[in-house]
Amino acid sequence: MHSYPHYSNYQNIAEATIGFAQFARNEGLNVGIQETQDALLAANFGTLDRKTTLNFALKSIFCTNPKETVLFESLFDQFWGRKKIAVNSRRVRKNRSNIQKKAANSVVWMGFGGDGDEEKQDSKNISGANKTERLRKTDFSQITSIDSELLEEMALRLWKQMSLRLKRKMKNSPNKGRIDLRHTIRNSIEHGGEMIELKRKKRISRKQRLVILLDVSGSMDRYSFFLLRFIWALRAHFEKVEAFIFSTKLIRITDFLDVKDLENTLRILSLKASNWSSGTKIGACFQEFNETFAKKVLSGKSTTIILSDGLDTGETGVLTSELGKIKRRTRKLIWLNPLKGMKGYQPIQKGMQAVLPEIDVFNSAHNLDSLLELENYLWHV
Amino acid sequence: MFESVKDNLAIVEGFDKLGYVVDEELATILFLMLRLQKPLLLEGHPGVGKTEVANMLASFLNTELIRLQCYEGLDVHSSVYEWNYQKQLLSIKIQESNKKTEAEKEEHIFSEAFLLKRPLLKAITAEKAPVLLIDEIDQADEEFEAFLLELLSAFQISIPEMGTIKAVHKPLVILTSNRTRELGDALKRRCLYHWVSFPDLEKEVRIVKKHLPNINNSLVERLVRVVQKIREKKLDKTPGIAETLDWANGLLALEYKDLNIEGIEKSLGCLLKSVNDIQMVKSEGVGNILKEIETG
Repeated sequence: MHSYPHYSNYQNIAEATIGFAQFARNEGLNVGIQETQDALLAANFGTLDRKTTLNFALKSIFCTNPKETVLFESLFDQFWGRKKIAVNSRRVRKNRSNIQKKAANSVVWMGFGGDGDEEKQDSKNISGANKTERLRKTDFSQITSIDSELLEEMALRLWKQMSLRLKRKMKNSPNKGRIDLRHTIRNSIEHGGEMIELKRKKRISRKQRLVILLDVSGSMDRYSFFLLRFIWALRAHFEKVEAFIFSTKLIRITDFLDVKDLENTLRILSLKASNWSSGTKIGACFQEFNETFAKKVLSGKSTTIILSDGLDTGETGVLTSELGKIKRRTRKLIWLNPLKGMKGYQPIQKGMQAVLPEIDVFNSAHNLDSLLELENYLWHV
Repeated sequence: MFESVKDNLAIVEGFDKLGYVVDEELATILFLMLRLQKPLLLEGHPGVGKTEVANMLASFLNTELIRLQCYEGLDVHSSVYEWNYQKQLLSIKIQESNKKTEAEKEEHIFSEAFLLKRPLLKAITAEKAPVLLIDEIDQADEEFEAFLLELLSAFQISIPEMGTIKAVHKPLVILTSNRTRELGDALKRRCLYHWVSFPDLEKEVRIVKKHLPNINNSLVERLVRVVQKIREKKLDKTPGIAETLDWANGLLALEYKDLNIEGIEKSLGCLLKSVNDIQMVKSEGVGNILKEIETG
């Protein structure tokens, strides 16, 4: 165990403050030159004569969210407190990194950098609707955390850009928004060149709903967690997203997605998810959806996205008729199937084949690019 | 700037006189904010008094409060400035017969008289450094956040037709957020940060007493205990300080000297603002909550 820096090792308070800033940076707080400088300035203004005020001042400068304040408190105790109380913070850090690990692990499945063996194993998994807990765990550990973290960062950034682009659309509007000079001048012709009426345009309102049905059955395991993150990202950037997950049962998860931080959402959902993922009864789940939720969440304006591999163990007839009902209530029905990304895939399972005529867009969802393609379809909603 | 504020304790005292109970931590940060001239980002649940901090700071420093309420779709035109188009068009019409040159006419219609100042521009051009409250920044779009970034670092705004306007006095900026989305790192790093949590028992009792001096001590304490107990539950909408005050007021109006089951059930609407929450608390039994607070 290495020894922690302590204020008593420094000559004066300014040096100790710098020392603490370095210590905090090493332990994962986002402390740069600007923050250190501010901390020194704060010292100048006499906030450092008591330990409590020192704590308050440095906290407000070094932290940017509630989670960081927890870490800060333990670092502060170590550095400015009596010597040797290091145990506590170790635990905090460990917890934190566990969460991160878990979150990072959840991006696993995309076939990025997967080797041949893995592929083979995967296809084996897909062919059966059942998968044991043990196998699922081994899958998770096979991806390095560096890869998945990078991928996750990239994904969040791209999704953010995508939603920004969708937001930028403008439309004409009678009395709100910025003046549309072009339209105004054009319109003035009928008044003999006098601009009497001002034409305006405003940002298009994105009142349309997005309804997402995610398959979390065993056969989807490799994708479902990542797709869940995708839904979460959509939830954060679009006004109205209703989300459901299904395997043998249908569960509405819109409320869980409301939780502000992603790790927490994933944790809650993963706790719930461990109960299912035996077979898939898509038809029965859609029936439940139609009976319980469809009237509330589907309207002429809504777009419905189904994320599933279409491997159904229920009766085909039910699936087709229920999907037809959904189709009639929604403006556009999109089915994203991760299997479609596989080479040589043909939608030949009887479930998938039967529903194809009902679907407006049938696309793959096996990697980031295929998810980003969704933008094109959302654009025209 | 604001050299008269000697230290954080001066802020505690000053706020106390204004009827706002501020703890030492927040006072220290406000003090730093004055000294370092950095914006302050306040995050916390709705109803913990974030907006009130800005109000109090403005009255404490005896300066103007300029408020910008953020919402989705907020843009430069409603936050910084807009030209008064109607007035400009009229003015062009009036000046048609006028002998002025084109350039003069143009200069005229793009003068300050035709400029509608929105909060941010107002804050920058104010005579005395105002408190600029940018409320619920998390509701605004990312584009606006990026724009704000520029403003908060340089404290200047450029209007293409007029040139750049630089702040005469740097405004004291307070941003609030309910964390409906995570703010950008760049914005956060420009600010001091403070998480405003729900007050503890002692502080909340003090707050209620401050607002309702006539209320009797045992009622306040039990009432606040009940509120804090209720906050621990998983509610749709957790009651804030304003709700506690409403409730205390309600109980006073109903002339209750002490808390009992009947009184609580009658007035629960002051505290909880959702049918589900009220039903949940009632079904769990108001009596049980009272018992719990007796036993501690």
